[in-house]
Amino acid sequence: MAESPVDVLLKGSSGRSARGLLRIIILVTIAAAAVSSRLFSVIRFESIIHEFDPWFNFRATKYLVQNGFYDFWDWFDDRTWHPLGRVTGGTLYPGLMVTSGVIYHVLRFLTLPVDIRNICVLLAPGFSGLTAFAMYLLTNEMSSSPSAGLLAAAFMGITPGYISRSVAGSYDNEAIAIFLLVFTFFLWIKAVKNGSIMWGALAALFYGYMVSAWGGYVFITNLIPLHVFVLLCMGRYSSRLYISYTTWYALGTLASMQIPFVGFLPIRNSDHMSALGVFGLLQLVAFAEFVRSFIPGKQFQRLLTASIILTTGLAFAGLVVLSMSGVIAPWSGRFYSLWDTGYAKIHIPIIASVSEHQPTAWPSFFFDLNFLIWLFPAGVYICFRDLKDEHVFVIIYAVLASYFAGVMVRLMLTLTPIVCVAAALVLSYILDTYLKTSPGPVTRGRSNDESSEGLRSARSPEVGITSYFSKAVTTSAAIVYLLLFVAHCTWVTSNAYSSPSVVLASRMPDGSQFIIDDYREAYYWLRQNTPANSKIMSWWDYGYQIGGMADRPTLVDNNTWNNTHIATVGKAMSSREEVSYPILRQHDVDYVLVVFGGLLGYSGDDINKFLWMVRIAEGIWPDQVKERDFFTPRGEYRVDDQATPTMRNSLMYKMSYHNFNKLFPMGQATDRVRGAKLPAEGPQLSTLEEAFTSENWIIRIYKVKDLDNLGRDHSNAVAFDRGNKRKKASKKKGPRVLRSE
Amino acid sequence: MRSFTTVVTAFCGLVLSSSSIVSAKPTSESNLLPADFKPPQVFKNVNLVRSTNLEKSYARETINVVVENVDKQPQSEYYLSFPSDVFERVGGLEVRNKKHAEKGRLDVEAAEVDAASDFQYFIVHLPEPLAPSSQLTLGISYSLLNSLQPRPAAIEQSDRQFLTYSFSAYVPSAYQTVSQKTKVKFPSANIPDYTTTDLKTGADPERQGTTYTYGPYDTVKVAPGTSYAITVRYEFTKPVITASLLERDLEVSHWGGNLATEERYWLRNNGSKLLTQFSRVDYTVANYQQSPSTAIKELKYPLKPGSVDPYFIDDIGNVSTSRYRPGLKNREANLEFKPRYPVFGGWNYSFRLGWNNDLSSFLRRAVSSDDSYILKVPFLEGPKMGEGIQYEKVVLRVVLPEGARNVRYETVEGSSSNGLPSASQIQASLSTHKTFMDTLGRTALTLTVESLTDEARDSQLVVRTPTFSRHGLQQSLTWEQVTYDYSFWDGMRKPITITIGLFSVFAAAWAITNIDVSIKKR
Repeated sequence: MAESPVDVLLKGSSGRSARGLLRIIILVTIAAAAVSSRLFSVIRFESIIHEFDPWFNFRATKYLVQNGFYDFWDWFDDRTWHPLGRVTGGTLYPGLMVTSGVIYHVLRFLTLPVDIRNICVLLAPGFSGLTAFAMYLLTNEMSSSPSAGLLAAAFMGITPGYISRSVAGSYDNEAIAIFLLVFTFFLWIKAVKNGSIMWGALAALFYGYMVSAWGGYVFITNLIPLHVFVLLCMGRYSSRLYISYTTWYALGTLASMQIPFVGFLPIRNSDHMSALGVFGLLQLVAFAEFVRSFIPGKQFQRLLTASIILTTGLAFAGLVVLSMSGVIAPWSGRFYSLWDTGYAKIHIPIIASVSEHQPTAWPSFFFDLNFLIWLFPAGVYICFRDLKDEHVFVIIYAVLASYFAGVMVRLMLTLTPIVCVAAALVLSYILDTYLKTSPGPVTRGRSNDESSEGLRSARSPEVGITSYFSKAVTTSAAIVYLLLFVAHCTWVTSNAYSSPSVVLASRMPDGSQFIIDDYREAYYWLRQNTPANSKIMSWWDYGYQIGGMADRPTLVDNNTWNNTHIATVGKAMSSREEVSYPILRQHDVDYVLVVFGGLLGYSGDDINKFLWMVRIAEGIWPDQVKERDFFTPRGEYRVDDQATPTMRNSLMYKMSYHNFNKLFPMGQATDRVRGAKLPAEGPQLSTLEEAFTSENWIIRIYKVKDLDNLGRDHSNAVAFDRGNKRKKASKKKGPRVLRSE
Repeated sequence: MRSFTTVVTAFCGLVLSSSSIVSAKPTSESNLLPADFKPPQVFKNVNLVRSTNLEKSYARETINVVVENVDKQPQSEYYLSFPSDVFERVGGLEVRNKKHAEKGRLDVEAAEVDAASDFQYFIVHLPEPLAPSSQLTLGISYSLLNSLQPRPAAIEQSDRQFLTYSFSAYVPSAYQTVSQKTKVKFPSANIPDYTTTDLKTGADPERQGTTYTYGPYDTVKVAPGTSYAITVRYEFTKPVITASLLERDLEVSHWGGNLATEERYWLRNNGSKLLTQFSRVDYTVANYQQSPSTAIKELKYPLKPGSVDPYFIDDIGNVSTSRYRPGLKNREANLEFKPRYPVFGGWNYSFRLGWNNDLSSFLRRAVSSDDSYILKVPFLEGPKMGEGIQYEKVVLRVVLPEGARNVRYETVEGSSSNGLPSASQIQASLSTHKTFMDTLGRTALTLTVESLTDEARDSQLVVRTPTFSRHGLQQSLTWEQVTYDYSFWDGMRKPITITIGLFSVFAAAWAITNIDVSIKKR
């Protein structure tokens, strides 16, 4: 090969720095691509917090920023779960809010007046750039190929599986947690490789951060011990392993216990027991190794067998006793549903009612990961070819995450990083094989330095593929796949994951965007025109949004910590007015909010969610609320004139369809979601009155009437008023009517 | 306040502006008078005509009065009296000498009476003392905020709205009045109730279309301060738009050549409340039939030519119901601000608007000095609505560049009312505002005015003053002029600070990477 200026740049020490610079530029570009592909929603709509949970996080962040850290830590929120309230400071993962708060204060210190909302909206895209970088570091530990890390970073940056939870505005714990997950794994691998206390401590530090940020930290808590356990079983005990694990476990557990919500769980909850068990096991193994160096083999075998039997027996007995006595908490319901997908549906309807807790459909693997999903097994296979400690980690991670992703839609998120690693390993292997013209036999040696030196001195004969045709075919195929991947990711991100779901968009006949903004219309109405302490009752889905946008106390919200309270709301919604009204009065409810999509054909409305309310209420009051009563004798769920009397008398039905038929010509009222023609006579409400209905009727707010002035019950009062509509004016005039009564 | 008075007394007939140097020490806004204070009876109102205009959502009154000095000494202080409950709601008070209207307004000062007296006073300082037995015609104009009460206070959504206005047949003057009459102009001919009086022979009021005239009354014998209650009730089909607070920020950037405006409104509809709750069905039907509604549906907001990057948001984000229609070249752009929901009587709506303008059309360098700048900006813009808007409080903040000194301001005036009260009613203060990597903080001039109406946005006549005519100042907005000093080095402060900051970061990074903290044996 002729010496050219480019070669000067690519070889030797200047070549190394040139490659380093190039690598940095590529990484920065990847991060930029990761950030910008998440900005679709900001460009299409606006800088707005999305969906449900982010609204709570946003509200909590605002509280943190306004009241300081200690007030946030001790925050008792009396504006949710009325009248119970919520110990918010002790029942949340503060990592996300604290991160935004720190960013906010740093910017304030630099006197940059950035709105806290914009920080929250852009936090997830910002951290996705960091995730891409962490992914680069992690993958580089797995492969000696220089391209693997960059490919993995690029995959991680734009793969929809991760974008689905990290678009701008999706201000949820996952926004920073995935970065922390990947980075903690990187630090762990680094620690295991080097047997370094520093890396172990850093891993513990980031593990602590992860614990503060997301409940999914349990995944790390179990994966790292499993990795260690498998290594032990493979007979790969080493002092490196001992140093890194003990450092990580001791410091990491202490760090995790600093979070009030976690507290003593690491030593009391079954979810965390494997980490503790492996910690003990590792001590035993270390002790055994220590003893082995002093005792001859045969005696050692006997000693080992005896001690293993003894300790296993003791540990098991201890576990059983502690579990029975209740010191160690049993597995949580969400955890059980990981093993038995039907568990939640039977025992905890509230978990099953959340769409993201449903099992994953097969197409969504391809939808979220595209061609990575079929590179993934190959990547795992590659790890077997070269089975070092870190490759064992990839394999374990891959197996576990695949299972979890199959069980719950949202756990696709934990699968995505390892798929990116595995796919990058394969693709870089393919590219290296086909692109490198003179790879020596030591390509996959310990480090790059040695191999290049060895190359130059030895001048080994060329090994590998030299045919330009096969090179061209393979690389162009790979490039086509990569391009398709980019196109797919962009398409998915833009079409599936970039809707704020608070604001709905549709198209006008001329193609321009038409925004349906009913949620904010109604929430802002509440915020501006009701007393600051009005209690709003709605189904729990909207609790966080009401708290965030309308700033009014709610009865239940997306935190779902009190199933009975939610069931109470479900009962009020699904019962007759005579039953519901006392419930409303007892809970100081001023306004009731329902979501109704019948006019617009918006299918995510309360009538469609109604059966879950019924089911959850039935779980607590099986004799008062019965799901069967809402189905017709033929088992249909109907809202038209065939609807069951229970259905038609339920508060939810009445609130949804109140006055709806007046919008249509006589007898023409049609529900566009359920495609049903409604009865000509609309439902009559007597204990509530319509207070506000948004432009497209998506949100309907009802005011709970006060007790009747004359002590009548409301249905009588309404009947009286209706029967004497003409007299209403004279009644207003003065006390004469009262006297005649 | 002294500086201001000196300017006025040094009136030369050309300078038609009142100017104030903002000083750190608070100036006393009003003279405290004893509770039993009675203005000296040195004047007599020979003839008084009051015109009350009820076409907008506030009452606008204009009083033309011929004043005669009945004392033996020349007099220069004319007391204007208002009932105590009205006094606080008087907005944009302006007094002019009718004969020399182009000379600008007379100096008016609030003189609050100490205790809960029935009357409170404004003192009009006549530029030249009025000689005994000579006459002077004063034109007094002001608006009364929140003076219109909806009756009935609550109506059905589709009902028509009626407002009542109560006033005294005798103008509450501090002086004896010989003859007076009141003309009331209504927005429509539907006036179901009005007080009839027997204060004069013949029908009182005299009705002529939508104008009712009370008087003229011969009130020589009537003691000053006597009141005779009159209430009129008339149909008003539009909302009563009230801004309980308007915060208006104008931010000047020399580097960016940009004038950024942000306005924050706290709106309320003071019209009739809804008797029953809001019904969307009725609203949709009424909207379809285009029947008049008492709800605020839309605020039309003309923006000056060249306004760019408008935004309209409220506490929870973009107000997606609104539209911005950019104007063609050199034409006004239009912001059609539509609240998220129709704002019915008693409902609130708060929002903020903002846009940018090219600074060069507002700022020029002073002729006198290179480091001195003159900024001329509208005092109030606000929506342009047929029914008018009343502002209970307006806080205007002009954020000048970092390091601006010697800030002076004045409101530019023409020969007719500009809707603003006299300078003594405008509270001014200077503060610093730290933003965008400031070291010292920017100088911010805050002007607070209570009780304004959208009159302050319009003034009908062309401003023609020698001082400003060469700039072709033909505006329909009330302008405010701010002068300040700002040198080249003030402008360089920020780049230098940022450069030093970045270099220190690099230096620190370099220093840190060079520290060897390893515990290996060396």
